[in-house]
Amino acid sequence: MAGQTDPHISLFSPQEVEFMAEDELVEIVPNMNMEQLNFISGDFGRFIPQIPTKVPLWLAVALKRRGKCTFRPPGWMSVDNLTQILEAERESQSTFQALPFSYVEIARLLFDHARDDIPDMYMVRSLVEDIRDVRLHKLETNLGSFQGTSAVKISNVSAMEVNIVRPFVIRALEAFYKHDKPEADVDRDTRSSRQQREANNEPRRPLRQR
Amino acid sequence: MKSRSLKLREAHKVGGSAAFCSILWDHKAEHFVTSSSSDPSISVHDGLSPSTLPPTILRHHQDGVTALALSNDSTFLASGSIDHCVKLYKFPSGEFQTIITRFTLPIRVLAFNGSGSLLAAAGDDEGIKLINTFDGSIVRVLKGHKGPVTGLDFHPNGELLASIDTTGTVLCWELQNGIVSFTLKGVAPDTGFNTSIVNIPRWSPDGRILAVPGLRNDVVMYDRFTGEKLFALRGDHLEAICYLSWAPNGKYIATSGLDKQVLLWDVDKKQDIDRQKFEERICCMAWKPNCNALSVIDTKGKYGIWESLVPSSMLSPTVGIPDILPKKRNEILNFDDEIEEELYGVSESLNDSLVDSDAGESHHTSRKRLRKKTLIDDDADAYEELNDGSSLPSASEYRKKSHRAHREKQGAKSGAFKSISASTRYKMQSPFQPGATPLEPGKRTFLCYNMLGCITTIEHEGNSRIETDFHDTGRGPRVSSMIDIYGFTMASINESGCVFANPCKGEKNMSVLMYRPFRSWASNSEWTMRFEGEEVKVVANGSGWVAAVTSLNLLRIFSEGGLQKHILSLDGPVVSAVGWKDHLAVVTHVSDCLPSNEQVMEFRVFNISKMTQELKGRVALTPGSRLTWIGFSDEGSLSSYDSEGVLRVFTSQYGGSWIPVFSTSKEKKQEENYWVVGLNTTSLYCIACKHPEIFPQVTPKPILTILDLSLPLASSDLGAASLENELMLKQLLLYETQRRVDDMALVGVDTTALEDEAFDLEVSQDKCILRLISSCCSSDSFVRASELMKLLTLEKSMRAAITLVTKLKLPFLAEKFSSILEERLLEEANEAITDPSENPNREVVTRVESKVQNPPASIQTSENTEAAVKSSATKLSATTLVRKAKVSEGLKLGKEQTKKDETEDAKIKEIKKLNLKNPVNNVNKEDKGQKKGVNQGEARRSSNPFLKSTV
Repeated sequence: MAGQTDPHISLFSPQEVEFMAEDELVEIVPNMNMEQLNFISGDFGRFIPQIPTKVPLWLAVALKRRGKCTFRPPGWMSVDNLTQILEAERESQSTFQALPFSYVEIARLLFDHARDDIPDMYMVRSLVEDIRDVRLHKLETNLGSFQGTSAVKISNVSAMEVNIVRPFVIRALEAFYKHDKPEADVDRDTRSSRQQREANNEPRRPLRQR
Repeated sequence: MKSRSLKLREAHKVGGSAAFCSILWDHKAEHFVTSSSSDPSISVHDGLSPSTLPPTILRHHQDGVTALALSNDSTFLASGSIDHCVKLYKFPSGEFQTIITRFTLPIRVLAFNGSGSLLAAAGDDEGIKLINTFDGSIVRVLKGHKGPVTGLDFHPNGELLASIDTTGTVLCWELQNGIVSFTLKGVAPDTGFNTSIVNIPRWSPDGRILAVPGLRNDVVMYDRFTGEKLFALRGDHLEAICYLSWAPNGKYIATSGLDKQVLLWDVDKKQDIDRQKFEERICCMAWKPNCNALSVIDTKGKYGIWESLVPSSMLSPTVGIPDILPKKRNEILNFDDEIEEELYGVSESLNDSLVDSDAGESHHTSRKRLRKKTLIDDDADAYEELNDGSSLPSASEYRKKSHRAHREKQGAKSGAFKSISASTRYKMQSPFQPGATPLEPGKRTFLCYNMLGCITTIEHEGNSRIETDFHDTGRGPRVSSMIDIYGFTMASINESGCVFANPCKGEKNMSVLMYRPFRSWASNSEWTMRFEGEEVKVVANGSGWVAAVTSLNLLRIFSEGGLQKHILSLDGPVVSAVGWKDHLAVVTHVSDCLPSNEQVMEFRVFNISKMTQELKGRVALTPGSRLTWIGFSDEGSLSSYDSEGVLRVFTSQYGGSWIPVFSTSKEKKQEENYWVVGLNTTSLYCIACKHPEIFPQVTPKPILTILDLSLPLASSDLGAASLENELMLKQLLLYETQRRVDDMALVGVDTTALEDEAFDLEVSQDKCILRLISSCCSSDSFVRASELMKLLTLEKSMRAAITLVTKLKLPFLAEKFSSILEERLLEEANEAITDPSENPNREVVTRVESKVQNPPASIQTSENTEAAVKSSATKLSATTLVRKAKVSEGLKLGKEQTKKDETEDAKIKEIKKLNLKNPVNNVNKEDKGQKKGVNQGEARRSSNPFLKSTV
């Protein structure tokens, strides 16, 4: 991806992940009248006071900053639901509960900009933080024991979590790949050595047959 | 327990003799502030761990700090000093703001009023200064004390100020006018010139009692109105009391005496509970706001916190804190008789102690009670019985008697009423205000909620606070909240203002109508009307007028400025009324309820500016239901909603009828009740309430739900109910639009925009019909399909229908359809001939249009002979038809359009067939048509684009 901080290890900065999460739709209750907004990603509105509408998170935050709307906290962001999720996360060591793909980012943006619109804000906040910690810990321990194959399958992992483990997983898989197919490595080695030589403008030597 | 000693920590160094030190808590108990009259610095201590964190030191004074005060919300700290200055700081940051005032002699005491807008300062100078904290201006100087003032305390509601001087004289000031309401001369000990001892008065947190140290080592309690001595707390103090502090809930009081001990009292039992001995005299105390703790400071600048001083077996001092909202200063200045009554502390236990008091006191109590009575009848009765038992002064007895007599009279009246209605058992519906929720004590309720905004009210301690909010916060005017001393129960809001009214409560309180304009070029343009012997039942407002319907069945209409414009007598008790622009709809009862429990009601729609009655008719209701809402839709049609959940719109169809456009029972979500707010032509705006609830709550702010209108259709064998519903709604809408076009054309207003709208409607209606035809064909109901065919308005769509059935391999239906089309064309041709004479208005419009568009049309016609033939057959008269043709090129008919292209061959055949038949009609049409040259030209043009698109 274009905006990637470090393309070599496929790592996004948290800001980048958050930026991508800003395209998620959230429900807001506007307090102004506005015609429909036509964006490349779609049409949003029309905005009528007191009538909820769905808009991308970035737009919602922009409107909220101007005092033009209030957020409706997403359904999963209730104390009841989060408590349940937290319990379930703690119970099972291998599976992850279904949460929105970018739940960390959404929660963070809502906590930053819409603290007055979230009922039981402090409770919700601590629950989300707990859930995040539990899941991260679980993910790390799970990855510690993954079987050497060509792929890792874990469902319901969120964007931020994937981002954190991506460098490790990719390198680990590469390593497995290398060990599984030594011949391929030889090929790669020879190829790279050839390139070096070309760069050095050295006279070409025939390869010795083994 | 009694010998337990408290460890004190030094906050201020006091060298030599005793100094007066102060201690204060902020409202959240996060910080406390100390000062000493021998130390120019002020210390702000952390409330949680005063021992570990060093205090913040504020050093702005040149001499010892004698007085401290914190505003109620703890945002400002004021300090007064021997250096004659009063300084203001931000709190808790301690940032120095300003020297708010200067005296000529040392300051001894400071006090903020409840809202923090006023600071009272006093000292050795003559006079108490009342300072506006916003700009530092002196609002008033209260002069009357004969010695240095050492104690000040604002009454919790902010209207009274108690002050005491060193000679022990207490004055109670009324802040509105600065006069002394009572004087208690020499009731407290004379402290002489010892500045380390102060006399202080303290109001109880509920504002009913003023506590002042007494001459007999006691605390004396005085009544807040009369200054009458109520009782005294006397006990183990061996010397005079020098400081006292009420617990936050007013149940306890802590007193400190010159005998170096602090006593804790139970005010209700008038007994001391606990005591604490100290090495030095405690000169200041403060209860920690949210816990059972008292902080004390002695004359050596040492402070301590006496934790859990109230035994756990007793009520915690933080339970049941009376909540009295301070008034804003502007409101104070508009002083009214009723304000006296607004304070109502419900401390039952205190009541007991007040029974033995004088006439004045019980007079107040009973007056307050009377006000409550209308709300809580049982409670009042109980109280009356209770009071009858005890020996009560004659004055209040008399009052009560007269009141009871009045009540009995009322009872007799309603009894007679009952006997009439007893036969039917059902009651006539009582009047209501659309968009209001029933009043609930202690809860905010809607007085009015519509698509524009809402008015909410909450009753609190006898008077109410009213807030006005617009949904669109950007565009609507900002309206400040209002303290409502009348107890308004009815309100109505629109863009220009809001109107309030209250019912009459007892013989003293008249029904009042009040209007507040939002934008006015003149200041103070709100007005009130009082009604004697009459009660406002319903209010409404519109553009430039305010209406009130009263218990005498009078409809009173006022102008926006308060001019009484019209008074009409209605012919029945009012049920509801609503305004919209110039229109006022009033619903009244016609007769008593039918035995089948059906309300008999009638409505009228008035045009206020024209002084006409536009509509009149009966109100349609579901049997057994009540009217719960009436209003105008966004387009201005009168609508009603009943308790069975049926929304009706009044149309002029069938000579004026109600059409049920929505029914809750047809909606899938059964567990929700819908509280209607407004509607437009296609949808209903409502607040969905979870099942047992019928009315929405004010907080959290309710959101509107949009529901599509759906007629309560019977379940048809066609299985296309949604299409049928859509069709009916569209027909209704089209009818209304065309009616409006006609109305406007009659007055000579430009109708282009509305005509465009009507045309769009026709197009969408045809689309809907085509889809219905298709579903009719698939279910083999061909008669219905041909009926639908007849309903199509555009020629283009009729042809599309033919194509459709051809495609569906129904040749006989195609045949039928083409004959219908033919008939139609013929009809239209005939109409074109006769119509212009009938409707000259239309013709004018047509001609204007055709003039504009003729030239290009004539060119096209010359190219196409076929068109010429056909054009004679399509002499379109109505302007709408001109438009149809004009836009038909761009008309999309969905699937049918694409099908049409595929079956071009079939279509050509079709056209040929038509052409074969056409000449028959042609002969007579053509010569007649020639006379109408203009029309013909226009018709020609109109058919052209269609042909182009098909061939």
